Amino acid sequence: MRSYRTAYPFRWRVMDTLEMLARVLWPNRFSGAVPYLMLAPAVLLVLLLVIGMAQIADSSLHVLDRSTFLPSADFTLANYQTALRQPLYWMIIWRSLLGAAVVTLLSLIFAFPYAYLMVRTPSALLRKFLLIALFLPFFIGQVVRAYGWLIILGNQGVMNEMLGWVGIEPQRLLFNYPAVLFGLVQYMLPFAVLMLAPAITAIPEEIESAASSLGANWWRTFTHVILPMSKPGLVGAGLVVLTLSLTDFAMPAVLGGGSQDFIANAIYDQFFRTSDQGMGAALTLFLVGIGSLVVGVIFTVFGAGTLAMGRGKK
Amino acid sequence: MTKTKSTYALTRRRFLGSAAALGGLAATGWTGQAFAQEPEKPAEIIVRAWGGSWVASLQAGVSDPFTAATGIAVRHDLTEDNEIQPKVWAAVAQGRIPPIHINWDTTTNATKSALRGVTEDLSDLANLANTTELAKPVGLEGYPIVNTYGYVYVLAYRPSAFPEGAPTSLQVLLDPKFKGRIALYNDGIGFHFPAQVAGGGKLEDIPDNMDAAWSFIEKVKEQQPLLGEDPDFTNWFQNGEIDLAVTISTNAREAMKNGIELAWTVPEEGSKFETDGLWIPKGLPENELYWAKQYINFAISKDAQQVWLDGLGLPGVVPGLTPPEGLAGDPSYPTEPADFERLIRVPTAIQVEHESEWFGKFKAIMQG
Repeated sequence: MRSYRTAYPFRWRVMDTLEMLARVLWPNRFSGAVPYLMLAPAVLLVLLLVIGMAQIADSSLHVLDRSTFLPSADFTLANYQTALRQPLYWMIIWRSLLGAAVVTLLSLIFAFPYAYLMVRTPSALLRKFLLIALFLPFFIGQVVRAYGWLIILGNQGVMNEMLGWVGIEPQRLLFNYPAVLFGLVQYMLPFAVLMLAPAITAIPEEIESAASSLGANWWRTFTHVILPMSKPGLVGAGLVVLTLSLTDFAMPAVLGGGSQDFIANAIYDQFFRTSDQGMGAALTLFLVGIGSLVVGVIFTVFGAGTLAMGRGKK
Repeated sequence: MTKTKSTYALTRRRFLGSAAALGGLAATGWTGQAFAQEPEKPAEIIVRAWGGSWVASLQAGVSDPFTAATGIAVRHDLTEDNEIQPKVWAAVAQGRIPPIHINWDTTTNATKSALRGVTEDLSDLANLANTTELAKPVGLEGYPIVNTYGYVYVLAYRPSAFPEGAPTSLQVLLDPKFKGRIALYNDGIGFHFPAQVAGGGKLEDIPDNMDAAWSFIEKVKEQQPLLGEDPDFTNWFQNGEIDLAVTISTNAREAMKNGIELAWTVPEEGSKFETDGLWIPKGLPENELYWAKQYINFAISKDAQQVWLDGLGLPGVVPGLTPPEGLAGDPSYPTEPADFERLIRVPTAIQVEHESEWFGKFKAIMQG
């Protein structure tokens, strides 16, 4: 005969005790509130963000008194008026928006075949290789990667050395707008692939086979089946890449040579270089406003893609 | 090999510095007997500093000897001066203990903190009696900051790019052959005033009319200059990216020490002369404030200045320092009144009031 101890192990009794305790602390009648309880940490984080934004909004309404380097007591819209009057900020906003759009487009173009191959390849070895190549950059910070490009693309870098082999004089490959966009695309590519891969995985391979058996060539299958069905992934990846690019600081700072600032660089200058927190706060709210507007337009036109978890606009 | 030699040199320098410090501290009456009556020593004090050769020099000349004499460790916080400023301001405003004990800062930046009222008064430092007038911040009551040395924004150049001799004027920046091969600070610091002269304006018109400066800077913009911070200049010279830069002589000297062929000059338009200083934020516990003051007091002693500024290649605030090798009579190392004739000094108060406006204007031109 089996002993009681064996029939009802000790760890089961521990679990029973824990369950009993849980029932005391959180009775069954509260079970409907469990989802809200699980949501609480996220809500708390968002709340903290809102409090921070409120403080930034408050800062933006005070101009800097340069005799004391303290914010003035009066509430005013002067910082916003100053920012709107300066062509510099309009130019930087335009450069940031254009850069974010170009980087998003290029990232999606380059990421799609990578994600498709990673998902569809029958070779486990190739899939593993693509996955490792995808995740490796995540272990290297953005700033380090940017400095890596300084070494590769510098006047005495590998690229110019290779150009030298075919008799081409060293070219200035760094410290211009294309260099910033190049660095951003390289940085954003893994994000785009990661967002696209689940969407492509969700497309049954049989549909592609069906299109093929009905006479569609590769291009028609791609444009009429794969691409439309990948739309949620493309929208999700596009949103992530667009917002990250729009708010980026390091690539313009390192690869721009000081003359290709994005909005985040202008905000940094106000907070840290000129000690004008009010103006920095006003520019911050401009950035948040512009980013929200762009995302809102995309949501309206294309839906939220994979970010809507399958419940978005089709 | 180089590394071994360098380590040996630093060790030797530290040893000499420490020995000198002990002597210096003893000479100022700061003896072991005195320690017994001093406030409790903190385990460490934190000094914000610039990196590279800047912090190495501070460590050799001031921090290590201070530790050797007091047993208090000195930690160098390499947060940028612009970035530590709002942190210190926020800490003082919120009644928190500030994140650093001592800020090594530009005098212009430090003056902003003094105007905001976040700096401790340092008038009671014993060694101030032995300093020149350069140590005193102009336009401020007492010593909320102690200036510790001066420096010049020189025109640094690669001699091989100038076979006919050193450039004599800032107009060289407009020479088409240097397009894309010149560098300035990314906010134009050190360049606004010489540019006013190079553009045909007068220094007396600063700050009311700087059209000449902006006009010249617009021309320089067409030359596609690189814009960066201190370490960038050294890197750019080393990597062959630039031939000319308006930068602090210390950065050019650092690149030279790294084996880069480099020289510098003060152009006929003049070069900006500035000072850096040390200050202590309000809100430190009494004992830590005391030892932070002792650190600054030691930093303006002759022995500490000699080693520290040997490393930086800059003129100090104590009379009788021996210039580092090769810098006696150099325009970047002014010591006599005649040396300052070619240098441009604009009152700190004017700089503090207008600096952000000048930075903004420079940015607007360069970002265009």
